[in-house]
Amino acid sequence: MASIIVEQITKSFGKQRAVDGVSFEVEKGELFGLLGPNGAGKTTSIRIMLDIFKPDSGSVSILGGPMSEAKKERIGYLPEERGLYQDVQLERALVYLCTLKGLTRSVAKTRVEEYMERFDLIAHRKKKIKELSKGMQQKAQLIVTLAHEPELVIIDEPFSALDPVNTQMVKDILREARAKGVTIVMCTHQMHQVEELCDRLVLINRGKTMLYGRLDEIRRQYAQPELIVRPVGGLPADVVGVSSAERLNGEYRLRLTASATPQDVLRDLVQRGVALEQFEIAMPTLDEIFIQVVQGQGELDG
Amino acid sequence: MDRIWRVARYEFLHHVMRKRFLWILISLPLMILAFGGVSALAAVVQFDRTPAGVVDLSGRLDPALTAGDGAFSIYEVPLQIFESEESARQALDAGELQAYFVIPQDYFETGEVRAVVERRLNDNVEGSLDDYLRANLAASLPKDVAERVTEGMRLEVETVGSNQVPVAQQVGQVIVPLLVGILFVVVINTSGGYLLQAVVEEKANRTMEIVITSVSPTQLMVGKIIGNLSVGLLQMVIWFGIPWIGFLLLQAAMPEILGFSLDGSFILVTLLILPPAFVLVAALMATVGATATEPKEAQSVAGFLTLPLVMPYWFMTPLMRSPDSPLAVAFTLFPLTAPVTLPMRSAFGNVPLWQTVTSISLLTLSAVGALWLAGRIFRLGMLRYGKALTLKEVLREALTPQRSAR
Repeated sequence: MASIIVEQITKSFGKQRAVDGVSFEVEKGELFGLLGPNGAGKTTSIRIMLDIFKPDSGSVSILGGPMSEAKKERIGYLPEERGLYQDVQLERALVYLCTLKGLTRSVAKTRVEEYMERFDLIAHRKKKIKELSKGMQQKAQLIVTLAHEPELVIIDEPFSALDPVNTQMVKDILREARAKGVTIVMCTHQMHQVEELCDRLVLINRGKTMLYGRLDEIRRQYAQPELIVRPVGGLPADVVGVSSAERLNGEYRLRLTASATPQDVLRDLVQRGVALEQFEIAMPTLDEIFIQVVQGQGELDG
Repeated sequence: MDRIWRVARYEFLHHVMRKRFLWILISLPLMILAFGGVSALAAVVQFDRTPAGVVDLSGRLDPALTAGDGAFSIYEVPLQIFESEESARQALDAGELQAYFVIPQDYFETGEVRAVVERRLNDNVEGSLDDYLRANLAASLPKDVAERVTEGMRLEVETVGSNQVPVAQQVGQVIVPLLVGILFVVVINTSGGYLLQAVVEEKANRTMEIVITSVSPTQLMVGKIIGNLSVGLLQMVIWFGIPWIGFLLLQAAMPEILGFSLDGSFILVTLLILPPAFVLVAALMATVGATATEPKEAQSVAGFLTLPLVMPYWFMTPLMRSPDSPLAVAFTLFPLTAPVTLPMRSAFGNVPLWQTVTSISLLTLSAVGALWLAGRIFRLGMLRYGKALTLKEVLREALTPQRSAR
């Protein structure tokens, strides 16, 4: 069963159409990437999903139906526009925000303490939030997002202010949550994070859906007829089926002729006795696909 | 309900647990005490207690009555009786007297008295002589009649078509309603200010988005209003309750000076008008908070809300002099001036029942309307960062009931 079903949502602010017919589904228990460049309509889509904004048209089903007050307790949300009460002690602010998610004060206190321990914030518990660094504040917000053990987590740019150590820790936490069956929607423009973490994704640009599906399928779909080959010695100049070769740090990027298959090339190299360390089909990175799509190529239907 | 309570509790403790709150709590009474103390001190210092002389040519005044009636007054000037005008003049020249009065032989027929002063005649000297003469004139009368002569009448005014209400005669009956009004304005402003700050800050520090994905905007708004008004009420109880206990103790010690009873209609009207007034101002403050993006920006707009609240004080003299004038009626009916005007008028005189009922009803209706407006504007403005809502947007939202608020 899908945790979120977004169907043909549109939303305009004045004359500007922020979201224009976006549709996607998020399966239960998956880590789903919501991608797009700045101003693409990601945050607006999330706000529509969470019923902060009403869509002009289209519909959203979240956790099996329309958003309700009761469902707010089952959802954890880390907004992009983030901040916390600046003039309040860290622990007090966190416990309060967790109680708003339906935890009792005592449970909220225990959970917040556990997370502060894990996030290395326990020494700062009595400090005012304004005294904490940006990274610490972001970790504090992640505590608010996760402490009530939601079944659906929506996080907007979760790694933006984190150093590599904390980034890794947050990744571990997200993987852990997924392993427990939590559905996670991660909104970002950091493609390598999506490549590393997400099962499926939707890419929106200027309010429209550009890509939607499984990460590996999308990469295959955008794959060029190219190979990456790392020979032990040199590479013969006239390999069968190769129209051009480009050398980069000991490896070759081979472009195939229209009729050739990777198998033709491999067969020729083996027959010629070329020793190989690496032979693979060159898959485009998500970054490359992203740039290609955003620069105006290849819009998918709905 | 549970969430409203959680929001209210947080808002309440957020203010009450701060040092600033304690400071505000102490500073206002201290300021009033200091102000009152300085004024009293100035009056005492300026007051000339040099005796005045009385030359009694009529020979019918009783020197023993110069001691006054025994009531404490710092404004009483001691009187000295002189046999002749020459001796009084000598004392005046020597600086022992600030003035002397000559009571002529035919005073009892003509009532004429002559005063000789160095510079000008002090009001208090005149008052002291007046008391002395009245005491003498009344000396031969039966005690109760003499009291009427010296103390004057006790006036009760009755208006046609309404219940009889005693007009304020004693100092306390004027001061208490004024003090209640001032405290009310101060409390409503501070708690409204807290509310305003709470709403704007949550927007400015971007906590809003987390909060509204946890509670509904209405729960948040109601929780905030309850929490911040509780802070205001606590202030009011402390500011008003403690002086009231002090006053009761003082009254027990000096019943003659402070003896008065507050009019029942004043208390009733005050109790009826305070809750909707609180809600009205709070909701308006919250609306302002929702439209603004920075606390400073909101504060300047909120200042305009305070103006109509305190306006009745500027017009106090005409209001007291003619409590039934069109101005007074208008101030009584207009929801933002009513909270101060209605209790004040009902303490000073009569307010026709229809005005009281209309005023409280209008105020209650406005409070409900303001709450509704606050909810809508809040939804519209809660995620507006960096750019305040324009008046046009606010009006459009308020005037189109069917429009989706989000």
